[in-house]
Amino acid sequence: MKSKTFPIIHAVMAALAVLVSTPARAEEPQTLNLFIWSEYIDPGIVTNFEHEFNCKVNIDLYEDTESMLAKVQGGGAGMYDVVVPSDNLVPVMVKQKLLAPLRHENIPNLKNLDAKFISPDYDKGNKYSVAYQWGTMGILVRKAEGKPLPDSWGVLFDPQQQIGSFMLIDSVRDQVGAALKYKGYSINTTDIKQLKEARDLIIEAKQRSVGFDGSVGVKNKVLAKTAQMGIVYSGEAARAITDDKETAYVIPKEGSVIWVDNLVVLAKAPHRDLAEKFINYILDPKVGAQLSSYTQFATPNKAAKQFVSPDDLNNTSIYPPAETMAKLEFLQDLGAKLRLYDEVWTQVKAK
Amino acid sequence: MKRNSLALTLSATALYLFLYAPIAVVIVYSFNAARFGATWTGFTTKWYSTLLHNSLALHAAENTLWLGVFSTVISTVLGTLLGFGMSRYEFPGKEVFGKLLYVPVFVPDIVLAVSLLLFYSIIRSWLGLLELGLTTMILAHVTFQIPFVAIVVRARLVGLDPSLEEAARDLGANEWQAFRHVILPLILPGVMAGGMLAFTLSLDDFVVSFFTSGPGSTTLPILIYSSVKRGITPDINALSTLIILASVLATIVVAILQRIKTSTRNHIK
Amino acid sequence: MIDPSPTLPRKPEVRFGQQLSRGGHWRRSALFSGPAVIWLALLLLVPLLIVTGISFLTRGEYGGIEWHFTFDSYKRLAGFGDLGFDALYPVILLRSLALGGATAALSLLAAAPLAFYIARVSDTMKNVALTLVVIPFWTNLLIRTYAWQIILSPESWVTQAVHGLGIGVAGEPLYPGTLAVLIGMVCDFLPFMVLPLYASVEKIDWSLAEAAADLGANRVQVFRHALLPQIIPGLVAGVILVFLPATGQFVIPDLLGGAKTAMLGNVIQQQFASSRDWPFGSAISFVALVLVMAGLWIYLRRGA
Repeated sequence: MKSKTFPIIHAVMAALAVLVSTPARAEEPQTLNLFIWSEYIDPGIVTNFEHEFNCKVNIDLYEDTESMLAKVQGGGAGMYDVVVPSDNLVPVMVKQKLLAPLRHENIPNLKNLDAKFISPDYDKGNKYSVAYQWGTMGILVRKAEGKPLPDSWGVLFDPQQQIGSFMLIDSVRDQVGAALKYKGYSINTTDIKQLKEARDLIIEAKQRSVGFDGSVGVKNKVLAKTAQMGIVYSGEAARAITDDKETAYVIPKEGSVIWVDNLVVLAKAPHRDLAEKFINYILDPKVGAQLSSYTQFATPNKAAKQFVSPDDLNNTSIYPPAETMAKLEFLQDLGAKLRLYDEVWTQVKAK
Repeated sequence: MKRNSLALTLSATALYLFLYAPIAVVIVYSFNAARFGATWTGFTTKWYSTLLHNSLALHAAENTLWLGVFSTVISTVLGTLLGFGMSRYEFPGKEVFGKLLYVPVFVPDIVLAVSLLLFYSIIRSWLGLLELGLTTMILAHVTFQIPFVAIVVRARLVGLDPSLEEAARDLGANEWQAFRHVILPLILPGVMAGGMLAFTLSLDDFVVSFFTSGPGSTTLPILIYSSVKRGITPDINALSTLIILASVLATIVVAILQRIKTSTRNHIK
Repeated sequence: MIDPSPTLPRKPEVRFGQQLSRGGHWRRSALFSGPAVIWLALLLLVPLLIVTGISFLTRGEYGGIEWHFTFDSYKRLAGFGDLGFDALYPVILLRSLALGGATAALSLLAAAPLAFYIARVSDTMKNVALTLVVIPFWTNLLIRTYAWQIILSPESWVTQAVHGLGIGVAGEPLYPGTLAVLIGMVCDFLPFMVLPLYASVEKIDWSLAEAAADLGANRVQVFRHALLPQIIPGLVAGVILVFLPATGQFVIPDLLGGAKTAMLGNVIQQQFASSRDWPFGSAISFVALVLVMAGLWIYLRRGA
């Protein structure tokens, strides 16, 4: 009689055994866990890396840099090997002790970086980060016949200037930054009055908009004609223009955000060696060129530029001319004052 | 018994159409050639072959299945034992516990999800255990599945003839043996129904999975959500069509199995 | 279900446990109920207590938590935030309740004809009709939700038809918006309303209605006094089964509202998925939890 109770117990034991062993499965020595923006790496590069280093790359995607940080903060510093924070979040992650220092002896290709990206203000001495791609933020517009392209953020923030349906960007610093620029303020202001003005502008614009989305989502919705225009990053715009010649990219005259995305290794990364091999691989001139040809963002890799097509190098959507560059501003880490932006953002979303 | 009026039949039909409109649309659009948007640009089956080569989707399908199977096995065993135990034996605080059992049924997924996220995070910082991944997802799913199984099983037990338990005891079976050989076979349909419900809840869950997932443990709902957010849906339509077909088939098979069971039983009687 | 066999003598009916000592009960409870009770205590009760606790802590400068007791999150929830007073969160709470209420009301309106219809078809058709209600429930919520994005998008013929009737602005999408959210919600929650309502409708004693009619009651009076009381249990169960989850829903407002109209669930999600404000997110979660407890209390008191 008793023996018949065993099947149940066996089933439970077997289930528990698998439960316990699942983490082991995910931690095979040769797996790189990469957490990166969507459409931000050429699948071909990943396959080549897997072949060359006899490993597997596990990719998870995110749509904005804040949600990456939130996920990593919830999951801990051992969650991924390599993540791709924007410049303003690198100091935040350092202060949170989420990053492992890079061992430069493992990354000889660091020398390929353009001098502008070596030892940036947000990470002196490239202690924790290496530039991955850089770009700008602007408006992707579907061209209307006989009408000039808009040249101001007012096309979104001023009902009088609106010429079509539009989408806003689902990223706190970028969206608030756009409103601040429209008002002529710095994108790094901590002045409550200015922030409130920006908040009210966005709340008003939100009512007339088609909604918020990440840059890739906005691009796809403009291509799908769900909206006439929307805020995107330069690479999405350049890719959209390749897909649909009826679209164009505009950096408003009031100025906008310029940013650098970075490769970093998490403090408790399970595969730190492989992570550094990956960073070194990305910094290879040919790989760097392949990457930027795919993402259509600008490369920080000086050695890679000779392999990038001249069309891309001369594309002002990707590499803006000097007079545009002068109007662009980097986001800065604002420390405790950042919660003002969070409050603005929560209110914007909630109103 | 009254007959249905025309007005009632018409409104019922309209409501069925309303319920099935989204399902039909997804199936139809999985054959739409357009890459973006809802404009119909021609018939194609290419999204199904794209899907076959989409390693992310295949991996997500595998994760979803494992997550569903493991969480369902554990929650069905624990939920059945709980349903039986609560209907027969007393323990201190049972009254309150019985009410709390309904909390996961009603509480918004998001509250459950963030509470587990915080719990895992605290355990991890103290003990270094519970890295987010399939394991934490299974633990989370079992938590919201147990009450559903227990409630379904308990409903089944209420209708059970007490003399059968009595007979088993008279014949010298101890509680465990009687449970295993007398009660369990009798309530098996209830256990199966509870298990099916648990499995469906697991397959359907997005919110709890989203917050408790880790590297490489993306499930189909997470994949669908992020694809929809990004506005890329053609192969997701194909994927969804396959999921819909699988669920419809499963529902029909279960319905037929129950039919056969009832009719055989009626036949024997 | 097994019918009691008439051939067995009806000896004293003793279920398991009825003759046990208190210790015997506890020992057997430990065996049967124990594992699940421990599981739920560890993975449900403790996490909910943690949420409650964290809602009284301070947010770290860069997210996370600092062990410093404060009511700040609740003050902010009440409207006293860093940017000055704003009754935003009470408004969101009310709006979420309104959305839950509207969903429950519309679902009820839609479910009633369906429940009466199913109750009146032949027995064979009844199984088919019920299965047809259940099938959408077995298919993924996300799939059904984004399908409405397609149906309500500017190029779809549904939208064209609606605009053709002169409603709304041509070229502007029906979605995202509150209407799209409501449609998605009702479509998702309808089965939860139909099933309990049907269970009550099926048990209706129609002779009461006939008797009332014979006594001269008009149709409204018949419904009000002879039918409605009989379906109240199913109605209450359905309303609560729809209202509570609908109030905390976050996926449907997110996908069909274009992340424009925030509900309670969206604000919680935002705190944990991008703003990294765990104490504030916990405080809102706690409010949602209290809401559910109140609903649950009503539900269990009605003995449904």
